[in-house]
Amino acid sequence: MQNDFETVGVLGGGGDEVSLLEILDHVLNSGVVIHGSLVISLAGVDLVYLGLNVVLTSVETALSNLQIEEKRRQK
Amino acid sequence: VSRILAYCGFRHAPELALPALGVSAVPVQLASYGELGLLWSEVEWPFDPERMQKSAVEFHGVVHYVFRQRAVIPFRLLSVFDDQQAFTAFAAQNHERFLEDLERLKNFVQMECVIYPAPSQPQVDRSSGKAYLAQKAVALRSCEGFAQAMRDAVAHLSSEVRVREAKNGTRIFVLVERGRENDFRQAVSVVAVPEHLSRRMSGPWPAAEFLSEQVKMPESAGAK
Repeated sequence: MQNDFETVGVLGGGGDEVSLLEILDHVLNSGVVIHGSLVISLAGVDLVYLGLNVVLTSVETALSNLQIEEKRRQK
Repeated sequence: VSRILAYCGFRHAPELALPALGVSAVPVQLASYGELGLLWSEVEWPFDPERMQKSAVEFHGVVHYVFRQRAVIPFRLLSVFDDQQAFTAFAAQNHERFLEDLERLKNFVQMECVIYPAPSQPQVDRSSGKAYLAQKAVALRSCEGFAQAMRDAVAHLSSEVRVREAKNGTRIFVLVERGRENDFRQAVSVVAVPEHLSRRMSGPWPAAEFLSEQVKMPESAGAK
């Protein structure tokens, strides 16, 4: 199983390693929002922000898991 | 269905190196509007949710490829346009504001610090509503105190500091001159972390938190 919190070898300018969690947070929550970008249709009905909610739920879950993981490591 | 996925905008110059491949290994294209360069790819839409993490890392890779060389304005990963025509219309409508922000932020990067409840903190007191609220108030005051101490500690580096409460802690964003990232880390590392809280620093990132509102949420026609 993939570790959600692995540190990936992608870098800030200073060669720092950045966690996958931080990357997800930034690419989804920082920067230019195109108006209406998250309207999706299902059975002909527009579901506003559904996609965003799904993604945010995943990030929230990831944050909780991160805290559990840290607790486990400290024991 | 294919869509136009926008990665980032930047002040274009011939000497800039640009990435060849983007999300899902599709070619990255450059669109120029005056001095504004915009990177984009034609992608299959919607993204496969199973591949979301990989797509996020690939998207980040494209944005940071340029960001390592100069200031960029990142788009959010899920921002797509119907077609090239819509993308071009967007660029025509917004390029001046993008260039203004790029000029204002050209020498800066965004550094961040998150302060959050330590994994080892005592259990939440749920014995009564009053006890719970009192515990929350103490935690909030600790975060506010830390944020203020951090402002003081980085005052010699930046006058632009933004603090945002998030569900899992307090996020502090600091606009720092490019090349002074280590000064930031050093300044923050000496700020005492309150009991029961943890601190995490990250950066440099594109200065997305310091974009003007019109650039963060621009007018657009034809975006999906």
